[in-house]
Amino acid sequence: MPAPRRLAVLRCLDWSAVVAAKNSTTPCAVVHAQRVISRTPAAMRYGVQVGMRRRHAQALCPDIEIVAHQPSRDRTTFDTVVRSVNELVPLIEVGEPGLIVFAARGPSRYMGGDGSMASKIFEALKTSVADSRLAASLVGLAVGVGVADSRLAAQIAAHASAVASRTANLFTPYVVEPDKTSEWLAPQSVRVLSEFANINRETISLLERLGLNTLQDVCALSESVLAGRFGELGVELHRLARGDEQYPLAVVPHPPEHLCIEKFDEPVSDQQIIINSVQRMAGAFTEHYSVHGSVCVRIVIVFESEAGNRSERLWYRPQGLTTSAIIENAKWQLEAWLSSGHESHVGENRVFESHGLESHGLVRVQLIADEVRTDTARQLRLWGGSTQTDETATQAIGRLSELLGSSAVQVAKWQGGRDLLDSYELVSATHAQTTDSANSGEQRSAQNWRGALPNPSPSVVYAEPIQVQINDHLGKLLSVSARHELSASPVVVIIGSTHYKVNSWAGPWPVEERWWDSARSRRLVRLQLVCEKITTDSAPQILAMLAILEHGEWTVAALYN
Amino acid sequence: MQLDTEQRVTELSIKELLVAQQLGAKPQVVERLAVADNIRDLLPDSGLVRGRIVRCSGDAGLSLALSLCSLATQQGSWLGVVGVDNLGLVSAVEHGIALERTVLVHPPKTSREWSITVAAAIEGFDLLIVAVPERLSVSDARRVQTRLQSRRAVMIIIDNTPLSQSRSTSDSNGAQQFLADVVLDTRTKSWSGVNGGAGYLQHRDVRIRVSGRRVARERNYLVTRAD
Repeated sequence: MPAPRRLAVLRCLDWSAVVAAKNSTTPCAVVHAQRVISRTPAAMRYGVQVGMRRRHAQALCPDIEIVAHQPSRDRTTFDTVVRSVNELVPLIEVGEPGLIVFAARGPSRYMGGDGSMASKIFEALKTSVADSRLAASLVGLAVGVGVADSRLAAQIAAHASAVASRTANLFTPYVVEPDKTSEWLAPQSVRVLSEFANINRETISLLERLGLNTLQDVCALSESVLAGRFGELGVELHRLARGDEQYPLAVVPHPPEHLCIEKFDEPVSDQQIIINSVQRMAGAFTEHYSVHGSVCVRIVIVFESEAGNRSERLWYRPQGLTTSAIIENAKWQLEAWLSSGHESHVGENRVFESHGLESHGLVRVQLIADEVRTDTARQLRLWGGSTQTDETATQAIGRLSELLGSSAVQVAKWQGGRDLLDSYELVSATHAQTTDSANSGEQRSAQNWRGALPNPSPSVVYAEPIQVQINDHLGKLLSVSARHELSASPVVVIIGSTHYKVNSWAGPWPVEERWWDSARSRRLVRLQLVCEKITTDSAPQILAMLAILEHGEWTVAALYN
Repeated sequence: MQLDTEQRVTELSIKELLVAQQLGAKPQVVERLAVADNIRDLLPDSGLVRGRIVRCSGDAGLSLALSLCSLATQQGSWLGVVGVDNLGLVSAVEHGIALERTVLVHPPKTSREWSITVAAAIEGFDLLIVAVPERLSVSDARRVQTRLQSRRAVMIIIDNTPLSQSRSTSDSNGAQQFLADVVLDTRTKSWSGVNGGAGYLQHRDVRIRVSGRRVARERNYLVTRAD
């Protein structure tokens, strides 16, 4: 049994909002897809919460500053923090802007205990932040450090510490004693799983409905029961709940180590060339592990310059690192390294770092797998083709959006309604992919809507209905009485200059919507018509259409093509 | 006879697969996209053969195109709908289209931009339903067709003429620039289900004339469809 790993987490609360705000006193919220994803303490005082709609936030606090989500801004600003921590701890892992994870055992032994290590790191952070350009906006920043035996526990502890620091205005690290992690986790609510461990909300809500409100309750069940109900996810839930950091033993042996290294004979200083070679290596790297049925969740990326300086950083992604994720991380690391070179030329306090790529080229890139587990989440289909097609389709969507603008490339999202145009909403494809892909696979139909049209539905639905004239046998315009009775049988439909003879018809079907709301209320009558085009040639053309009478005007809303 | 051809095509694709594996290439995707049983007999190779163009014209063209695509999208192929205005999405779902793998693209109606868009869509999607703009130059059409054949996608061309326009102008549109491998010309004979105010539209009888380059002998079918 290996000794439990000790992990430390450093967390800066609401990093992206704090960075985006002009100064620490203005209320500011970062908005993505119309939802607040981060807000400053000043905005929080008005009651603005994460997950709120933009309009709601503006209603609570009218002079709130709304900023668009910009991951690159968060990343570049967070590098100040990363660098100051990196001076004390050699190997760190940056999860997202505002979150740093590192193995605590070495550093805390060196600096005399977990508590003093946390304080030392905080002091270093404070001085480096005060030096930087961001000093003004970072005054209100709440920083917390948590140390525990598992990642989940350390994250919760760090969050608690950050909240405590904010309220007391005093830095207070939170250390969970060694071997006490599972007891400490026990009374926590299961909601922490969705907040800190990427378990989706539906699962959490299901757990609560099953009466499992705390991690203790989840732990009390045997692992096999959870596995029986939830599959792989159940095993994962149990692992998280008991505060275990080790992944369960793999059934298949771990794949042999993959040497992924590229040396440049000529030092390279062009960033794009380096990224290109990382791209090639990352492809081979993920391929190697996927062939062995496993996936790399933690990776070390190493860059080495001509002068012998190294940039080494850990990257973690619980779902497994894909090629694109590795490239993205490498880019981030490289950019940070480049900018650190820039800065140190100006200031003298960090002389030992004055070796960006500007003066020396890069000679070596290496990817090292740090943690590998069996790939359980994504199973390729038999021929491995299915996910491939999905990937190429996603790429094509991206290209088409570049070509035509994102509003011209759309996917449908079900929203329900009795009108043919209402039941599906068209959303921009790029937007839909980033926000939710969970919409898939559900077969819904408009049948359970009262007043929806009967099956089959028309295949052509006009966004702007076509003006027509429907006459009876006397040539008078057809009307519908208050009791929804037609004034006479329809005989002829006139579209533009073309006359159609009505063979048969069905209806009228009244629809009355939202009578309580004068602005949005609708009253209309629908009629299905089978028409024959009056032509001179032998074969008549038969058309089935859906006509609508609204505000005394007949229109063709849809065509059964 | 039908079965014989089907067997031969299957054998052929297996043989190709084996050869490809021996050469160390990645296994090729199947050469045909599956089509629902009830309309399979309409097509000459009892399936949508990759790299080909199918044209669905007439007054049941769009719903026929949707039902041709339905099974393939359920089995994981992506469908791009390019330049088709006013597609009824509820109808598409009723035909069995998997909407989570359907992308609607609205390119400009000029020849150049349209062909660039379609070529980009061919790169990513197995199936395309397209409406061809009025003026499409011969060279742009040729380029799209070449790309289609090299990328092994299937393109289904439909008429998308506005209701107010008469039928005679639609025949002179850009769809003529493509040499369709299979042409399915539909004409509704009658609708059933409605009767003088009662009932609702349920079935229709459609005459489908099958012709085109890949069709040896022109055939006529009378099909009752629930759409």
